[in-house]
Formats: sequence, C-alpha cells, structure tokens
Amino acid sequence: MYNDGRAEGVTVAAERILVPLSETVTVRQTVGYAIRSGLERADDLECHLVVALPSDREMPEGQTEVETARSLLSRAESWAREDADSSSVTIETAVLGDEEYLFGPRDFVGTFSEYADDHDIDRVVLDPEYEPGATAGLLQPIERELEAVGLPYEEAPVERPARHEQLIGDGTQQFDRLFAMFWISYGFYLVLGDPTYWFDLVTGAAVAGIVAVALANVTFTFPLGRVRSPVRTVRFGLYVPYLLFEIIKANLAISIVILRPSMPIDPKLTRVNAHVRSGLPLLALANSITLTPGTLTIRADDQRLVVHSLIASARDDLFDGALERAVRFVFHGRESAAIASPRERGDAEIIGGDEL
Amino acid sequence: MIEGLVEAIPFFEELRFWAIVILVAFGLFFTFVSAVGVIRLPDVYSRAHTASQTDTLGAGLALAAVALALGWQNATVYTVLLLFFVFITNPTAAHAIARSAAESGITPWEKETDEEVTSDD
Repeated sequence: MYNDGRAEGVTVAAERILVPLSETVTVRQTVGYAIRSGLERADDLECHLVVALPSDREMPEGQTEVETARSLLSRAESWAREDADSSSVTIETAVLGDEEYLFGPRDFVGTFSEYADDHDIDRVVLDPEYEPGATAGLLQPIERELEAVGLPYEEAPVERPARHEQLIGDGTQQFDRLFAMFWISYGFYLVLGDPTYWFDLVTGAAVAGIVAVALANVTFTFPLGRVRSPVRTVRFGLYVPYLLFEIIKANLAISIVILRPSMPIDPKLTRVNAHVRSGLPLLALANSITLTPGTLTIRADDQRLVVHSLIASARDDLFDGALERAVRFVFHGRESAAIASPRERGDAEIIGGDEL
Repeated sequence: MIEGLVEAIPFFEELRFWAIVILVAFGLFFTFVSAVGVIRLPDVYSRAHTASQTDTLGAGLALAAVALALGWQNATVYTVLLLFFVFITNPTAAHAIARSAAESGITPWEKETDEEVTSDD
C-alpha cells in the first residue's frame, strides 16, 4: 500500500476521511470542518472529496452532471488547500457512480463504502444539507445505510440560514410554487362549487390564497420547471387511459383464473429493481403495480420492489416492464422510456417466501 | 335537421339506459368475482390481489354507471373525483395489508412442487 512508507515517518497514523459533496449552501463549511477536524485528530490527513452522480454518463443528463461535478470538485479542492494552509494534507477528488445508475440511499452508500474499502477510509464527514441528485431529504436514509454497512460518519456542524429561508429558495422558484398551488386549489374548489356563482369565485380565491401560502412549500419539495411540470401533467393524462386499459386486461385475466373450478394460480414472490427515481416516480410505479390485479407490491425498499404475483402472465408483464417504461415516459419523456426490460437487465428474479 | 335530432333523442335515451344497465351488471360481476376470490384463494397475499378488484373495476364501473345516469351536472364531476380517490387509496391499502402481513412473518402460499407431490404419493 502506498501509505505504508509515510506511516513509519509520522507517529500518528494518517487519518483518511471521505467527504461526499453536492451543490448546497453549506458545502463550503463542510469542507472546512472536514479539514479542521481531521487535522485535530491526526497530523497527517488524507481528504477524499467525492461527488456521486445519480445518472449514467451515457444518458443525456449524465454529461452535464459530470461537468458540474468536476467544477464543484475543483472549487472544493481549492477550499481545502486554503483551509489546510501549510499542514500536510493530501487531497484526492473523484466522481463516483458515473458508470451506473444510483437511485436510492442504498445505492449511494454502496458506492461510498466500495470507495471507502478501496482507499482505507476511516470516517465519512457528511454535509447536513447533502442532496445527491435532485432528490431532497436523503440524508437520514443515507445515515441509516452508513450505520448498516458499518462506516463511521459524522455530520459537519455548520451554521446555516434558518430552514425557513432555505425553503423559499430564490424568488422565482417560490413564485412558481405559489402560483401552481394557488391555481390547483382554486380549480379544485371551483370543481366542487359553482364556477359561475360570484360568491364561490370570491371565497375560492381567498381559500386558494391561504392554501397556497400555507402549503406550497410542503406540496412541492422539488423545484418546478415552468415547461417540464405542465408537460409532465399532460403526459400523466396520457398515462391514465393506458393504466386503465392495463387494469381491465389484468382484471379479466384474474377473474378467469378465479372462476375456473381448477383455479390454476401460481403465486410467487419476485424482486424487481425498478429504474425510476425515489419519490413521486417510485410511488407512481409501486401504486400502478398494486392497482393492476395479479401483482401486489409488498415492499418498496428504495428501488428494490418485492412484488407478489398471482399468475404467470401477470408476472411476465411485470418482468417485461411496460409500466416501468410508462412511468419513465411520464417523468422523463420519450427517450428515457426506451430502456431494457427488468428481465433483460437481470433486475427481475423469483425469490422464496423466506426472503421477505 | 332539428326534427331529426328530436327523433333521435328517444334512441339515445334508450342507449343510455342500456349502457347504464351493462355497466352496473359488469360492476356487480367483478365485485362478485372478487368475493369468490376472497373465499377461494389460499392466503392473505393472494386475497389482497382480488380484494383490489372490487375497488378498481367493481366500484369503477358502478361509478361510471352513476355518472351516466346523472347526466351532465355537477354531481357527475363528484363521482369522477370519487373514482380518482378510490384509485389512489386502493393500492395504498392493499400495500399496507400485504406489508403488515410480511412484517408479521407470514410466508406466502406456494403451489406444491412436483417433487413434493410425488413424494407424498
């Protein structure tokens, strides 16, 4: 190992830390804390700054992600050099996960722990605002997973603007959220009421205003796109008839099986690794799977779905991944819908009942 | 033109009546199948599959019949909304049942394999 020679010269063994970075308000402070705390513990510090990418490099969104990651890393490296001053700090930077899709917290931690094993990392310093990819609120699940793999971690104590201010984001984003929330609730109010009656119009506007102010930040935890979000809604409108068709088809298949005197059912537990992101897309997929009779989501452990299937044809449909493609179409557009089926990817398997 | 429409109205009324009858009949049929399934199927997981049939097609078709019977008015919108909420809550409930069954350590029923059958003989 390359550290051996150096360890002999210094009495205190070198401390090796891993700092996953993402574009946050506290990333600068996190790097500062990592260097400071590392130097307090040992004279010799090896600081690994990494950025984990959610997407594949091959995908269109992957290329730009790699570039932003590089620029963040080079900035972080210069911050670290600044903080390290004259102390002996080795700084390594790396872009992780550009070869594969990282979806849930478990994928991220898997990548980190692989990297940690390769580089003998002692502990991980986490940015309290850490948000790989666009998914918010990944920190706690990541900490849980880190505990599970036995990698010591620490949250950097950072000073940050109050949560309230952060949620507001920049002005236009906040306006978009309020705007969307207002019209959604106003529309709903008028659907239930009478859109031609002035009293409903006035009270509706008042209620929608209150709802928008109170709930806009709760409803939309992700940034809205002025073009993308309406387009997604339209694509969701296309998805609904397709889902209804699938439901009717599956209902007929199941009804025939139940009514036949021999009842040829063949229940099997299956595990499918879904290639959709956490949050709303995963919810949509898991719900759609359950909604079609014959397949029932038992667990949604990040992207690892445990699905109970009642008959072989329902299982085949699940492994062919038509619903998964449809959900990808809704959230990411037509190009990303064209992916291999779970069966072709090797992401679908039949498991025994004891593996629940 | 207008006379033609007036003549056509009884025909459409008739059509609507039979459409309602057919929708209700199919709704009842799927609800019935679902009830049969709950009785016949072997374990909690497979029963959860068929229980969701009542919600999706049973309630779906019955509500479609209601919407058709009410015609074009405000209450029709409510039935469509009702259907929408049923479609959101049904998988959530089915998943909750299946998940709690899994948490309680219930192993799913599986068809006996051929080996076991021959060894029994």
